[in-house]
Amino acid sequence: MTNLPLWLIPLFPLVATLLLGTIAVVSSGSKKGPAEGIVGGLAVIFPAMSFAVVAILAFGMPEAGIRETLCNWIDIPLFRADIGFLFDGLSRIMLLFVTGIGTLIAMYSIGYMHGDRGFARFFAYINLFLFSMIVLVLSDSLLLTFLGWEGVGLCSYLLIGFWNKDLANCKAANKAFIVNRVGDIGFLLGMLCLVTVGGSGILNYDALVAFVGMIVNGGHVDLVLPVLSLTCILFFIGCTGKSAQIPLLTWLPDAMAGPTPVSALIHAATMVTSGVYLVARLSSLFVICPDVLNVVLVVGALTAFWAAFAGLFQNDIKKVLAYSTISQLGYMFMAAGVSAFDASIFHVFTHAFFKASLFLGAGAVIHALGGEQDMRKMGGLIKKTPVTACVMIFAFFAIIGFPGFAGFWSKDLILEHIYTDCNWVFTGTWLADGAVPMNKIFYVVGLFTAVVTAVYMGRLIIMTFFGSYRGSKESEAHIHEAPAVMLIPMIVLTFGSVFGGYLWADSIGITFFRDSLASVLGAAEAFDPAVRLSPEIFLDEFVPRTGAHVNPVIFAALGTAAALLGMFIAWKGWGKARIPEIPKGASSAPEGYAAGWTFLWDYVHGFFVKCVFVAAWICDMVVDKILQAVQWTVGAIVTILGDGATVFQVRKVRLQVAFSILGVAALVLVVLLTGGIV
Amino acid sequence: MLLNLLVLAPFAAAVLMVATSKEDPKSSSRLAFIFGLAFVALSVKLIVAGNTATDPIEWFRIPGCKGPVYYYLYSHGLGAWMVFLSTVLSLVALVSARVTSCQNYRNFAIGIFALMGAMNGTFLAADAVLFFFFFEAMVIPAAILIAAYGGKEKAKAAMTFAIYTLVGSAPMMVALWFLLTKADNSLLLSLAVVLQDLPAETQFLVLASFLLAFIVKTPIFPFHGWQAITYAEAPAPLSAILTGAMSKAGVFGFIAWILPIFPLEMSAVSAMMWLGLVTAVYGALMALRANDGKKLLAFSSMSHLGIAVAGVFSLSEAMLPAVLVLLVAHGICAGAQFFLMGVAERMAGTRELDKLGALSGKAPVFGTLFGALGVMSLAVPGTAGFVGEFTVLLSLWDMAPFAALVMGFSMILSAAYVLRFIQKVIFGKSENEYAAGPRLSGLEGASFGVMAVFLLVVGFHPALVTDSLHLFDEGAVEQMSDAGKDVPAETDEDMDEEDEGLPQAMTPEEIDQLDSSLKANGFTDEERKSLITQVVGAEAALALESRVKAGLAESQDSAKTNDEALNKEASND
Repeated sequence: MTNLPLWLIPLFPLVATLLLGTIAVVSSGSKKGPAEGIVGGLAVIFPAMSFAVVAILAFGMPEAGIRETLCNWIDIPLFRADIGFLFDGLSRIMLLFVTGIGTLIAMYSIGYMHGDRGFARFFAYINLFLFSMIVLVLSDSLLLTFLGWEGVGLCSYLLIGFWNKDLANCKAANKAFIVNRVGDIGFLLGMLCLVTVGGSGILNYDALVAFVGMIVNGGHVDLVLPVLSLTCILFFIGCTGKSAQIPLLTWLPDAMAGPTPVSALIHAATMVTSGVYLVARLSSLFVICPDVLNVVLVVGALTAFWAAFAGLFQNDIKKVLAYSTISQLGYMFMAAGVSAFDASIFHVFTHAFFKASLFLGAGAVIHALGGEQDMRKMGGLIKKTPVTACVMIFAFFAIIGFPGFAGFWSKDLILEHIYTDCNWVFTGTWLADGAVPMNKIFYVVGLFTAVVTAVYMGRLIIMTFFGSYRGSKESEAHIHEAPAVMLIPMIVLTFGSVFGGYLWADSIGITFFRDSLASVLGAAEAFDPAVRLSPEIFLDEFVPRTGAHVNPVIFAALGTAAALLGMFIAWKGWGKARIPEIPKGASSAPEGYAAGWTFLWDYVHGFFVKCVFVAAWICDMVVDKILQAVQWTVGAIVTILGDGATVFQVRKVRLQVAFSILGVAALVLVVLLTGGIV
Repeated sequence: MLLNLLVLAPFAAAVLMVATSKEDPKSSSRLAFIFGLAFVALSVKLIVAGNTATDPIEWFRIPGCKGPVYYYLYSHGLGAWMVFLSTVLSLVALVSARVTSCQNYRNFAIGIFALMGAMNGTFLAADAVLFFFFFEAMVIPAAILIAAYGGKEKAKAAMTFAIYTLVGSAPMMVALWFLLTKADNSLLLSLAVVLQDLPAETQFLVLASFLLAFIVKTPIFPFHGWQAITYAEAPAPLSAILTGAMSKAGVFGFIAWILPIFPLEMSAVSAMMWLGLVTAVYGALMALRANDGKKLLAFSSMSHLGIAVAGVFSLSEAMLPAVLVLLVAHGICAGAQFFLMGVAERMAGTRELDKLGALSGKAPVFGTLFGALGVMSLAVPGTAGFVGEFTVLLSLWDMAPFAALVMGFSMILSAAYVLRFIQKVIFGKSENEYAAGPRLSGLEGASFGVMAVFLLVVGFHPALVTDSLHLFDEGAVEQMSDAGKDVPAETDEDMDEEDEGLPQAMTPEEIDQLDSSLKANGFTDEERKSLITQVVGAEAALALESRVKAGLAESQDSAKTNDEALNKEASND
């Protein structure tokens, strides 16, 4: 059974997209819309078949992976690219949870989108998204990955603006697409950089790994290091766009305008992690540019820290989760920044489960409250919606890193790697006389962020499920538990967020996850720039990785302490607090200093947008007006001259005869000069 | 025959349309549809046929010029695809106008056919005078159509358009005439040879006059004054043709006439490239502020063509296929967008973006098509636009990384204005009730759908377009020249009549390629010039051979004189 072709995996969602798209367009004229049972069934079965194919392939995959070239894509002088697929340890993990979670969320959406006018359209988009995401992770070259990369961005745009009657949603969608476009240009230019160095063939991942190996073994790294560093930076700009890192992160909180299943699938579990995937995929390239890895580390740390606090200030339940996602993505990039790529992918994996459960839980809550998203109007829901509450509480334990839950293992691993693997050293700075190893600083930042994570998540859980209900009386009567079609996916995901971590439980000696990735990422992780690259360049900034072994139990204990401390603070802060009644129609956006912190990067973006608008204004009102004036002047002069020429149009025989003679003379002259009429 | 049909038959069709009744738009639209379909079929056949040429027929002699003007058509991949654009867009325009302008459909169709014939002539002409003739002839039916069927300011628009573009190409006429007084005939090769001998200042003047004509037609900043008002006031089907096919004449001119005949200085090349990029950014910024749907599309078109021109003057090896794909993608996509905007205007009675909105709720099929084609114009991977823009980006990156960055910036801006455009037209809640105009007809919807599918197909299989350029390949050229040198007898059998124009059609491209590669290798201008003259000499000899075999006495003479001139030049060197 293992000889199934790889193209089957993206084919299923593509077929579903075409089918559902046709249904959506055909039925758009009718009053009632298509039968939801059939549409929903189609929308779930096709991703499920993809998942089945992936599962079958995953079990029978040879160590080196499966490669398959489908056909040629672009073939012109200077550039040639094929459409080909690569199924190896990394894409296997990604595909398993993309198709798996995708199927579950499609199922959940049947309940959530029930009765919506665009039911079929919604599932067409979801399947198109799955197709693009599958192409993104399954492709064997950067160019095809870019197809998926922009494809998921497009689907994200379509789904954020799904309820397009409301212009606010459309604006959020536009923002998401445009901010992502900025990152995408980074991706494009990064590819061009690579092509400059190694020709168009190098865009293929295998060729890239071979190329990097060649230059490292040949000792030519110094020659190409500037170009490669630029390449990595450009790719990382692409990642900051797609994975909502500083500075391109403002679109993700706004993206919560889309339906909640979309937030769960695209803006939490899968699409936003594609940046992390890309860094892991290009790990062999990134590790020879240690400076870029430091940038990744710093950006990741800042984002994690900043977004965690921003999450603390939100009242909208989905916004809290959005900032939480950004913060967790920051963790993943921190791990990538210390070349612990497998740990970052592991966090992607566990995060997909617990964040999807959190979002689906939030969706169930919103569904139950008839669209209410402000946590200040919730409370005490554990009695009304016990299953949802349990799902979210389990996921809560997972995200804060409570011992035994999925997030505990992955987050712990990241913190441990930051401490042990960060070999970046600051020398001769104002910080201290001697060299300052950065590992401790970043470890403390990570640990502190973990505390804040527990605080804002605790706040979310307390405000939503505990205390007493703060909404209006009449709405209280309508609160109901979600239907089974929504609950089943939530429960399945909860299992993932509880037990998913045991695939790589370092403390108890399970390393299954790492081993399965070792064939792809192992070489890059073992690469130590301080040893392998020319030491005279790097010894100032790097120390070789220390062999000193720190007992992992200490990390586990500190992580647990952070989680407990955060929970304690949340309980102290909001467990008993009375939340003031808010007036009807009040915005759920944060105010005051909280707004300043939350919208910090929006202000930065606003500045650039303003610049563009000013430039556009200058073009329109100044340059174009000048050009029009010139055009008008020329026209006017010609008109005046023409009016003047009418002077000669008079009945004066002598004048006219003189003109005629002059004209004939001129003609003769021309003919003579040019050699006569032939 | 095929070439003659494509150039002359549209005029015949225009005449035949007179036979139909003015009062009966149905019958005339049927006839027009059949004609249009036939021309599309012919243009597809032309693409499949590869490089072909007609026999040169002596047309007339211009006083003071050495050689005659030929009626001589030839087709290579680029021209054939441009003809494809012109016929396809004309067909869809005829379909779309059926619903829009029912009064006097007949005359509209006559105008469209005349325009199509002129455009086809422009893209297929092998003779410079013939090219110029058609290049100017295009303006007349277009201007008349605007004046007759345009919007509120139609008279002003038609005048601006006609005068601006005609005046823009007037210097080219003078320069061309000047060249013809020196050249043996008005074919590419003789012009190129003559230009080699001219002093640098004269060369520059001639170049500037040629460039101006194409810059105005494309249009390139700062000579875009006619564009926005023309595209906005023209009836939407005509705007689609203007942007999709006619504006391509400018870019086509750069590729097919400027690059082969002028020994370009590096400074001129990079100046043109930057002008293209400035246009790209400028157009995008203007589109960002436009409040008239058609003006927005006009500026978007300007932005994309700016990118195309920048791509042309990046002069990398990948330039030709890259620009060709970009042009085809833009032609189809922008054309379809104009058609759809026309439908929106028809449905809502306005094209002001602030007054439009919520059309996707009212007409879901229209909304889907509008959104899909809008997104396709953003160069999303998997659509033809991506292949074009990515390869042009690659080509620019080779020339100057900063240029690629500027193009990237314009790509970001394009996302901004297109998404705003989509949002304003089809999303949101409509503020005011529209007067219910005619909606999207089935045939219209189907033709836009086919255009969208075509873009997707090219996006995944660009070889469909780029393969028609394979005869420009170095390998093919080498084969040809080897065959010509070593076994002349064999070429006699191999080269059938249709391939005659081939060496000539190809050589200038080759020269250009050689020139750029020499430039890249750091040869000085003098060295380059002399090397190229040698190559041109060799190629001319080759052309001579094939001509002799075909028994074309007059071109034999001219080629001989070419040869002599070259020998002189060589001895001078």
